[in-house]
Amino acid sequence: MRVLVIEDEAKVASFIRRALEEESYAVDVCDDGAKGLDLGQNGSYDLIILDLMLPGLPGIEVLKGLRKEKVQTPVLILTARSQVEQKVRGLDAGADDYLTKPFAIEELLARARALFRRGVGEVTGILQVDDLVLNPATREVTRGGQRIELTAKEYALLEYLMRHAGRVLTRPMIVEHVWNMDFDSFTNVIDVYVNYLRNKIDRGRERKLIQTVRGSGYVLRAV
Amino acid sequence: MALRARLTVWYGTALALILIVFATVLYAVLARGLKDQVDQSLQQAALAAVHALENRFGPFLPFEDFSAQFPELAVVDKFFQIFSPTGNITIASANIKTREIPLSPTALEAAFQGKTTYESARFPGEPPLRLVSVPIIYNGTLVNIVRVGTSLQPVEETLQRLLLVLAVTLPIALLAALAGGWFLAGRALRPVEDITQAAQRISGGDLTQRLHVSPSSDEIGRLAATFNEMIARLETSFRQVRQFSTDASHELRTPLTVMKGETELALRRPRSAEDYRLVLESNLEEIDRMTRIVDELLFLSRADLGEVKMESLPIRLDVLVEDIQRQAALLGQDQGIQVTLGPVEPATIRGDELRIRELLLNLVANAVKYSRPGGKVPISLVSEGNSARLRVTDDGIGIAPEEQPHIFDRFFRTPAARAHAKEGTGLGLSICKWIADAHHGRIEVQSAAGVGSQFTVILPLSTASN
Repeated sequence: MRVLVIEDEAKVASFIRRALEEESYAVDVCDDGAKGLDLGQNGSYDLIILDLMLPGLPGIEVLKGLRKEKVQTPVLILTARSQVEQKVRGLDAGADDYLTKPFAIEELLARARALFRRGVGEVTGILQVDDLVLNPATREVTRGGQRIELTAKEYALLEYLMRHAGRVLTRPMIVEHVWNMDFDSFTNVIDVYVNYLRNKIDRGRERKLIQTVRGSGYVLRAV
Repeated sequence: MALRARLTVWYGTALALILIVFATVLYAVLARGLKDQVDQSLQQAALAAVHALENRFGPFLPFEDFSAQFPELAVVDKFFQIFSPTGNITIASANIKTREIPLSPTALEAAFQGKTTYESARFPGEPPLRLVSVPIIYNGTLVNIVRVGTSLQPVEETLQRLLLVLAVTLPIALLAALAGGWFLAGRALRPVEDITQAAQRISGGDLTQRLHVSPSSDEIGRLAATFNEMIARLETSFRQVRQFSTDASHELRTPLTVMKGETELALRRPRSAEDYRLVLESNLEEIDRMTRIVDELLFLSRADLGEVKMESLPIRLDVLVEDIQRQAALLGQDQGIQVTLGPVEPATIRGDELRIRELLLNLVANAVKYSRPGGKVPISLVSEGNSARLRVTDDGIGIAPEEQPHIFDRFFRTPAARAHAKEGTGLGLSICKWIADAHHGRIEVQSAAGVGSQFTVILPLSTASN
């Protein structure tokens, strides 16, 4: 899951980035409205966290710009003012959710999970493919009831594969959604991480869930 | 009681009094006039009779002959009696033959003295009478007394009719006037009612309301205009207060957000001692920032309430400027920004040295903060006419022309300033302006975005130094 944070207060952006990274999300930070709009239109993000008070371009205009360009990415707005009017304006302009500063970090993360869930039309938030189960809220992964310990990156990769179960995901797609934009995509690190995952999930199992599609990428599906 | 009712009652009472006085005077004048007319006509008739008796005939003559001789005396509405000096009737006109009306002792006595008597008499069951008794004196001796009388009934009837007319018309007129007064008072007071309703809506919190009273120069029109001006001022100041508290809460929310976020993030899982130290350092920075905002807000709100005490002592500005320059030179050292002295002329003003120092230090600190590394910040002081001009110049990021009118607004920071220096409360220049105003001075700014800014503080020179 890749998140764009558009926030000009450096320290606020910093702790949001670190919190999201601890959840194994890939995070890009931008401190200017106009640049944020540009990134939001061109990058493939799963969530945009948008502050409404921005230099360059006001947050509400960034939001309108994104929706005008048919960017469907869920947007969570941050407002410093608890005024109803501002929340209403934000939601009407196409925001999916809002938080008022100061906010609890756990609430931000829970709302982010809820917005990811909405993207794939789930209700409970728990992802399941065959007997492989992933709970984004607790970050717990089990296969056949057995608990599987994953590193942060492995977890992020698995979550992405499970959210798009049954679809062939190319290496650039995986890079865009699991790593942030500082990542050098010419390395074979994806293949390395997919192998790590296979070792933990499919090794010794009868049904192999992660499959390689020659010349394209990978797919996770029930056999 | 409502003003409308009170006005109508006062108006009605005044009108009723006027009408009563008018009616009384009218009645008295008319009654007097009518009686005078009766008396006059009686007197004429009596004198004609006396004249006839004196000149043409002997003293004793039957009235039939007498009245045949003098047809002008046979008037129907009057009767004649001629008395002997003893008071006995000797001749009486036909219309009084059957009825004797004796001469009163007063009239008889007066007749002996040669005086004419006017009397009113009333007998039961008969109309009231008016009588005149005229003596006929011949060679100093009372010969006869001629009395002419007439009924006062027509006069009384006229007066009674008048009384009836007044009794009927006066209350009707009064009622009509009261109704008119009630209507007019209502009409005159309707704008007041409109104003009251508008004021109620306004006190309900809707300050965008205005009174819609036709523009006129009358009292109500002026009241409405004054009221509208007052609401406009209230609206402006409410908007400013709301803006101010919104801005203040926003400025305080940012450090709170950082502190809450950093702390919660740190507590999610065990961290290294170094990580905790970083969080505490970050929190300390935010606490300092909030302290600064709260201090400055407190100063400004106390200044608004007029609670800030100001000394009024002579201040040597040139000495102060040199002192500030030494102090500020340290501020820019890290970034190679030089705070230098331009021309400094001796100048003395009156005021509060601590505040003036704060003002200057704020301006110089701003100049350093918004300068680029290696920039120059000259400070100068010149006297022009009756004022001292303190200039702080920089070649930093500057202020766009459209932003210049707002730089003294509370919490206003230009986007360029926010981007250039994260710290800063947006209150410093508001405080500077307040201090300059409190010293009867002002601050002027000349600036171009990207080129630099020049702030000039103009303060009146102390008269003692001239």
